[in-house]
Amino acid sequence: MIVIDKLCYQSKLRYINASEKFVYTVLTLILCIASRSAATAAVVFLVNVYLTVAKGGIPFARYAKLLLIPAAFLVASTTALMVNLSRMPLDAFAFPLGEWYLTGSISSVLAGLRLCGKALAAVTCLYFLSLTTVMTEILGVLKKLHVPGLVIELMMLIYRFIFLLMETASAIIISQNSRLGNRDYQTRVRSFGGMASALLVRSLKRSGTLYDAMEARCYDGELKILSEERPAEKKELFCIAGYELLLLGMVIWSWMR
Amino acid sequence: MKKQEKILVKASVVIALLFAVAPTVNAMHIMEGYLPAGYCVAWGLICLPFLAAGFISLKNKIKTNRKNLTLIAMSGAFIFVISSLKIPSVTGSCSHMTGTGLGAILFGPASVSVLGIIVLVFQAVLLAHGGLTTLGANTFSMAVAGPIIAFGIYRLCGKLNVNRRVSIFLAVFLGDIFTYCVTSVQLALAYPSEVGGTAASAVKFLGVFAPTQLPLAVIEGILTVVIVIGLETYAVPELRNIGFLRGKEAE
Repeated sequence: MIVIDKLCYQSKLRYINASEKFVYTVLTLILCIASRSAATAAVVFLVNVYLTVAKGGIPFARYAKLLLIPAAFLVASTTALMVNLSRMPLDAFAFPLGEWYLTGSISSVLAGLRLCGKALAAVTCLYFLSLTTVMTEILGVLKKLHVPGLVIELMMLIYRFIFLLMETASAIIISQNSRLGNRDYQTRVRSFGGMASALLVRSLKRSGTLYDAMEARCYDGELKILSEERPAEKKELFCIAGYELLLLGMVIWSWMR
Repeated sequence: MKKQEKILVKASVVIALLFAVAPTVNAMHIMEGYLPAGYCVAWGLICLPFLAAGFISLKNKIKTNRKNLTLIAMSGAFIFVISSLKIPSVTGSCSHMTGTGLGAILFGPASVSVLGIIVLVFQAVLLAHGGLTTLGANTFSMAVAGPIIAFGIYRLCGKLNVNRRVSIFLAVFLGDIFTYCVTSVQLALAYPSEVGGTAASAVKFLGVFAPTQLPLAVIEGILTVVIVIGLETYAVPELRNIGFLRGKEAE
């Protein structure tokens, strides 16, 4: 139902220690954001694509499609960064609009392109985590990081409920479609509203029965979940440490320049 | 055709065209990696007091009745699912609502701040909307600023005896608009324009996102009113349970 979640369960890297993957993602993200050079972004991008697609076995076509999700935001906001409205033409390009110019400078165009590269590299970091690590394992890592128990418990329940609700919603949508519920714009709006309110009513009722079921199984304020510990391999840890040090070196170099 | 009708037709054509230009319209999440490191940390810190307040309020709610735990979790899942479903837009292109406006009206802004950050984490990891480094900025605009405005306007309209449906529309619409303005300002603060500084940059970001965000806010407002009408028809006891309808209003 959720593409990323489904792909994640198929990944070959799924059974590698979750903390290891989490730490790798967070460190790489931080270094990628902190860096000022396009080279760091390129390295991060290529390594992540290699790890997720070649090592993890995620189909490349799927991966490329996922990379396009933030494209709309990227294009719109980078245009806003590069283009200025000014009375004086700048050096990169200028389109006259009466007395004003739609114009940009070479430095801002370069900065915009660099930002695009950096953002895409950061997106591949995020995808590495979400395409190799199952949500329940991410929650296990968060627990080790001492995120409050209530939040973890809420996240766990919400993650479970998302699929319950999506199933209900898609059943309602199918039956609405088969009854001409999407005939024109007005019915579409009315159907969506009806679907959402039915969904809320059902979910509220369901939450009541779910609590009763949990209490019947001795729920006393803490959800206990069996988690399998898979120790991290030393070789992998050394590789990650070496890679992060290399990135750190590149970041420091990009600052010095 | 009368003059007014002509204007309406023209406006709808413009909205349709704008939707045709933008293939996917999400609520305005700042994408992963788009903000400099300093701003990521700063927005995260700004969110902290709101999150702490929300956390304490949730904890108290659960203390008074343990059953509220599953209820709150269900509400969070509801906000996520609503925001992940395609909503009807004029030309059939796909767009999504924020869902936090509805959440704020139903559950109050304090719970929505914590639920909002959880939903944003799930949106980042499962749907690739938004990101982990921009979580702080997105939480501030979508889970704190928007819901507070929406809830405030809803309450204000209640005090002023405005028709409830109108007040829900206004609350959600203005909450969305406020979220969009806050996000533009966040982007502008991080990337001031070389001609005119932060203010000019904010205007540019507002302008670039206006074609997608303004119709979205209108549609989300209308949909929320339709949803609440449905709820008022079928689910009065449940609504009273979550504290949305007080005794008098329900009658």
